[in-house]
Amino acid sequence: MKQFNRRQVLRSSIAGSMLLPGLTECLALDEQKRGTNQKTHFPAKAKNVIFLFMTGGVSHVDTFDPKPALHRDHGKEIKADHPEIKDRPGYERIYLKRPQWEFSPHGESGIEVSTLFPHVATCVDDIAMIRSMHTSHSNHYNATLGMHTGSFAFSRPSIGSWVTYGMGTVNQNLPGFIVIAPRQTYAGTQVYSNDFLPAINQGTLVVPGAEPIANVSPRLPKDRQRLELDALQALNSLHLDKRSNKEALQTRMKSFATAYGMQTAVPEAFDFSKETESTLHNYAIQPNSTAGFGWQCLAARRLVERGVRFVELIDTGSSGNWDAHGDMMSHVGLAKNVDQPIAALLKDLKQRGMLEETLVVWTTEFGRTPFNNTADAKGREHHPWAFTSWLAGAGVKKGIVHGATDEHGLRASEDTVHVHDFHATILHLLGFDHEKLTYRHAGRDYRLTDVEGSVVQNVLA
Amino acid sequence: MHPYPVTNLRSRAKCLLVLAGLLCSLPYQSFVKADEFFEKKVRPLLIAKCYQCHSGTKSAGGLSLDSRRGWEMGGDSGPAISPGDLEKSLLIQAINYQGLEMPPADKGGPLNKDEIAILTKWVESGAQDPRISPEQIGGMSKAQAKTWWSYQTIHKTPATQSSDQIDELVRAQLGPAGLTPSAKADRRTLIRRATYDLTGLPPRYEDVVAFVNDASPDAFRKVIDRLLDSPQYGEHWGRHWLDVVRYADTAGENSDRPLPHIWRYRNWVIEALNKDMPFDRFVQQQLSGDLAPLDDTNAAKTNGIIATGYLSVARRYGHDINKDVHLMYEDIIDNLGKSMLGMTLGCARCHDHKYDPVSAADYYALYGIFSSTKFSFPGCEPIPHPSGLYNLIPDDIAATRQAEYEAAMAKFKAQQPNSPEEIARLKTEYAKHYEVLATKDIGEAGNEQLSSHLGDNAVRKIRKGEIIQLAVLRNGNYGADTTQIQLELENVDAPEKRWSSDELITLMDSDSPSIELRGATWSFLDVTNGPKFLVDKRTDIGGNSALHGWAAGDNPSYFSSVSDAPVVVWTTLPPKALFTHPGPNEDSGLSWVCPEDGNYKISGFVKDAHPISGGDGVSFRIEHFKDPTLGPQLIAFSKNNGELVPPIKPVLPVAFAVSDGEVADAKLHERGDPELEGDVIARRWLDVFGGNELANPEQSGRQELSNWITSHPLFTRTIANRIWQWHFGKGIVTTPNDLGSRGAPPSHPLLLEFLCQQLVAHDFRLKPIHRLIMLSETYQQDSLASEKSRNVDPGNLRLSYYSPRRLTAEEIRDSLLAVSGQLDTSPGQAHPFPAETTWNFSQHAPFNAVYPTTKRSVYMMVQRQRRHPFLALFDGPDPNTSTAARNQTTVPSQALYFLNDEFFHHASVATADRLLDSKDSQTLADQLYQRLYQRVPTEKEFDLTYQFYDDYPGSPNDKWAAFARALLASNEFLYID
Repeated sequence: MKQFNRRQVLRSSIAGSMLLPGLTECLALDEQKRGTNQKTHFPAKAKNVIFLFMTGGVSHVDTFDPKPALHRDHGKEIKADHPEIKDRPGYERIYLKRPQWEFSPHGESGIEVSTLFPHVATCVDDIAMIRSMHTSHSNHYNATLGMHTGSFAFSRPSIGSWVTYGMGTVNQNLPGFIVIAPRQTYAGTQVYSNDFLPAINQGTLVVPGAEPIANVSPRLPKDRQRLELDALQALNSLHLDKRSNKEALQTRMKSFATAYGMQTAVPEAFDFSKETESTLHNYAIQPNSTAGFGWQCLAARRLVERGVRFVELIDTGSSGNWDAHGDMMSHVGLAKNVDQPIAALLKDLKQRGMLEETLVVWTTEFGRTPFNNTADAKGREHHPWAFTSWLAGAGVKKGIVHGATDEHGLRASEDTVHVHDFHATILHLLGFDHEKLTYRHAGRDYRLTDVEGSVVQNVLA
Repeated sequence: MHPYPVTNLRSRAKCLLVLAGLLCSLPYQSFVKADEFFEKKVRPLLIAKCYQCHSGTKSAGGLSLDSRRGWEMGGDSGPAISPGDLEKSLLIQAINYQGLEMPPADKGGPLNKDEIAILTKWVESGAQDPRISPEQIGGMSKAQAKTWWSYQTIHKTPATQSSDQIDELVRAQLGPAGLTPSAKADRRTLIRRATYDLTGLPPRYEDVVAFVNDASPDAFRKVIDRLLDSPQYGEHWGRHWLDVVRYADTAGENSDRPLPHIWRYRNWVIEALNKDMPFDRFVQQQLSGDLAPLDDTNAAKTNGIIATGYLSVARRYGHDINKDVHLMYEDIIDNLGKSMLGMTLGCARCHDHKYDPVSAADYYALYGIFSSTKFSFPGCEPIPHPSGLYNLIPDDIAATRQAEYEAAMAKFKAQQPNSPEEIARLKTEYAKHYEVLATKDIGEAGNEQLSSHLGDNAVRKIRKGEIIQLAVLRNGNYGADTTQIQLELENVDAPEKRWSSDELITLMDSDSPSIELRGATWSFLDVTNGPKFLVDKRTDIGGNSALHGWAAGDNPSYFSSVSDAPVVVWTTLPPKALFTHPGPNEDSGLSWVCPEDGNYKISGFVKDAHPISGGDGVSFRIEHFKDPTLGPQLIAFSKNNGELVPPIKPVLPVAFAVSDGEVADAKLHERGDPELEGDVIARRWLDVFGGNELANPEQSGRQELSNWITSHPLFTRTIANRIWQWHFGKGIVTTPNDLGSRGAPPSHPLLLEFLCQQLVAHDFRLKPIHRLIMLSETYQQDSLASEKSRNVDPGNLRLSYYSPRRLTAEEIRDSLLAVSGQLDTSPGQAHPFPAETTWNFSQHAPFNAVYPTTKRSVYMMVQRQRRHPFLALFDGPDPNTSTAARNQTTVPSQALYFLNDEFFHHASVATADRLLDSKDSQTLADQLYQRLYQRVPTEKEFDLTYQFYDDYPGSPNDKWAAFARALLASNEFLYID
């Protein structure tokens, strides 16, 4: 009867050599490969993006787009061929509705911001405010999909996937495109899907909490995991002999080394224990809590520091969000959740010199109607005709307002910026001609901006 | 003698190749730019400003501007444009109001400066206009289309059982490149390859041994026959087809509603392939099985209806799917083009195809066929429930069962405890003996301890039969929201007598909203206007199996999460907790009827469980109803009736399918915009293939279309190419969804021709073709590439060896289940979706679920809006669009799966547990390698295993499970040679 025991076993040279040296070697190899996969079309101003997405439709006239005439004309009946009132019972007549928050000028630029965003207001001199945004759909699902993929109905690669596809990843131990969201937003996983782009470009979902990325927490003590990995790599080495698909097999072997590293790198990135108390305080983070947008913002800074290309932060989910049909007062809590953290993020990035290479994007899927069906209605409806988004950081002109809506904030009227133009501009800041960043799929060259889009030159520094 | 003259075919194919080469090198780029300018700037302008009077049947002054021919011929004043010559172009004069004045003042007046500049630039640069001309269909001239390789007739030849032709045609391309075929693979490699290839599962070790020891000349044929006869064949090859037809179990509209009946189509596909249904009939049934069943039997009729699930599984779009129905038709046309014809028809929705001979009119000719078809309705947010399903049992039986149900339901409703008179009476009674012990508002993210507000009332004398009630009140109607609650009562003189609402958490699935525990009775009530029981039992709330409760309609409701972990639904719900959700106009109340007199301490909390939802929050009230007769009255009220659980709706077998609807031709949509309707286009076959008109226009035309498609050589080529692709990983045409001008040319045109001929000769049955392919030497080569091959043919397009491949997502999962002894091989049926009556999915809270199963992966529930995490990780199919071929990506998150995933670890433990009881380590190691690798370990591997066993801490089972993990994660397990 054979038994496994030390005396019987002739120590195998294979197994021993595959221990950590094997892994370290792989990591070193990746180190050399750092940099971008692709060449940009012209020198990139921005190397990273932090994309702040406010779910549900933020009211522009209550936040970043002051409309004195809307105060003046409150209760006045207007006519509009608006998608949200068409054939809708009870909406035969509509009346202007005044903003509920006061605006005042801020900074040297004097850009007006409402009292909903007192902290962001202190950063306006670093921001290019686009007050003439408009989009192609008045439904959350479609508008959210459009803002993320450039397509308002079909599934297509997300902007984050396009960016990582274009620029490649820097830190081999972290995904290039990370989405931090407490809950799923509209259109589900499609908003961060790589779709037909290579899978390496898919958004990795981080849900604030115990295990930020699926399967990143070791299930076993380190020593056991190491033994298993060594055995695995030894088996793989034996198997590799004479295979015609060596490269694929080696890539897979290497991916285990990367995954091994991720188990440390990912928790490290989300471990705020080395952050100073004042930093945590600035971001409004409660001790030992992952709740709130402050945690998401600080995580974004730490990820960008570690070479993650594209970090998207989604503030809420597909319900309990900015969709204030019932009462605009719900904007108070939502703004409070994000305002201080966003300002802290901008200031933190600036102070660390990171804002010069990082593009910060703030947007929502559409605005909210400056009218409603009664003069004293408390809420506002979906409004694709006009909303405000802003850019800050790498390559962006500082302290300017681009475009305008009409006197009531009903329509984007000057220098209008469609979602496709917005995307084209973001890609431009990253060094890409949006018409040339294409991918051949099903017989066609696809791009983020479909067949539209032009760069908003005025916001470029 | 050869069954057909090889040399002739060869020279013909050579011509085809040359032609294909020419077509592929056409200077696209030069006109693509001009095209783009036309599409982006010129066409929209013409549509917006000129079409009103100069398009379709309206051609004012005889001028039509909706085609190149229109302005070339011109109107009463002569040709409208002289390309490149502004002076001679009447159009330019007219828009500048020189002589003619266009557009006239009453039609919008002159164009602005930018618009004039666009038309001027267009005319000046040659007036490139890609719109139909008589010699042109879409992106190809008629002459080109006539000779396009994939449209050519397939010549009939007799069926053969010999695979020699395949080898000959493959070798014909090896020789010129200086390559030779590889040696024959060893038997273990061969049977492993064949078993995965035909069934998607690993072979059993016993089968490997039997094959290795079978000295008969037809040993491999016997293996193939056994695999083809196994039910796992249809599951694997059915999955291939389901990829192509983008099968999913949800509708894909904004709330991603479940399709509870579409599984019948999935199973029909599997069964049809197992029966080797001829592929032309297989496809015909999917397009028009309802109109033309295979025979006259009831079973055939039923199956014919189920088969049209191919059409009804089309993706739905938007909020109100009826408003975006044109997108569903596009999804269908696009899919049938790609899956059945290798054609990208969807491109022609907005404009004529830019590269292939398909016009927008062709698209709308097909569109009319589908808009004349009635589709089962999956429901959507504004119209929540499915309708238009097709009965699969005779109508009279269905009607009887429905009537029985309705009678039972009526009886149930009549017996409900909520009789208005009794509620009113109790309300009056309640009001007589009523005291509020505490009340408080719960703001955004608020969390209030009851004790902080009860004050002196925290300990209270309560008599048997009196009621303590925790009511949660909506504020205005903006406060109604998910609220976590706890109510505890403790007899201060006998602390062991203690009741806590936490005990209810696991009891929500009991059969009544009134629950007795140790003499006390808890009740879930609507207390807006007297006590009203919440009698609608809710299970799997939000599609989550941890959430159950009681409600009236959607709310008010009480529900609990039995999960140990937070549950993410409309918000993240904490584990093991009880919740209430008042209605927008209703308050909820949890009442406790005291079991015996005593002094009770009242405690607990009320907490906002859905922060950041805005609104005014809720408030609560602790109430004491101080009359010992009230409790018994309430209990009697809950019991004075029969059943509290409603009768279950009979499950009638129905199909989510299609039938003919209101038949009409469709109008063309300019630029694909359904608001810009153009001419009516008669339903017909594609112009380039003859444009046949419908013989029977009283029908939708699906039946005729299914015949046109399956009798066209392009169909045969598309399918033959797919069969080859599904055996070798790569098609002879490497773009299997596109055999048009943007697709790749065939690497082995004659081989594809041969396969097509054999497919036809074998009546479109797949199994004889599998035998032909798998018995070829080409298929049976080993997977070792020669140095030469690596250099001259790095992609192995010439097939000088068998290209190894990684297992697909489904193969990985099924293999893990199989080797660990967990695989349930019985066919899957319906998914455990929540009952339709409970659906309130919206874009804010879409359907979302993952259902664990140990059945084969083809039976997993696949959602459109949220990809299954496992399938997404390992390059599974995209359920939103046709997946022509699987990717084989390697990303670190896959490695994380093998390091830490629970399912994977469980498989390794199950594998170890399954090892036969033996003290002999050699036997155990052998067993493990046999099950996982279908071979015994080499000496080196055995040493490695020895050392691992020695080094790894823990019990023998721990050690074996750990080593099993290494084997299951290894390249040998994951790759097929």
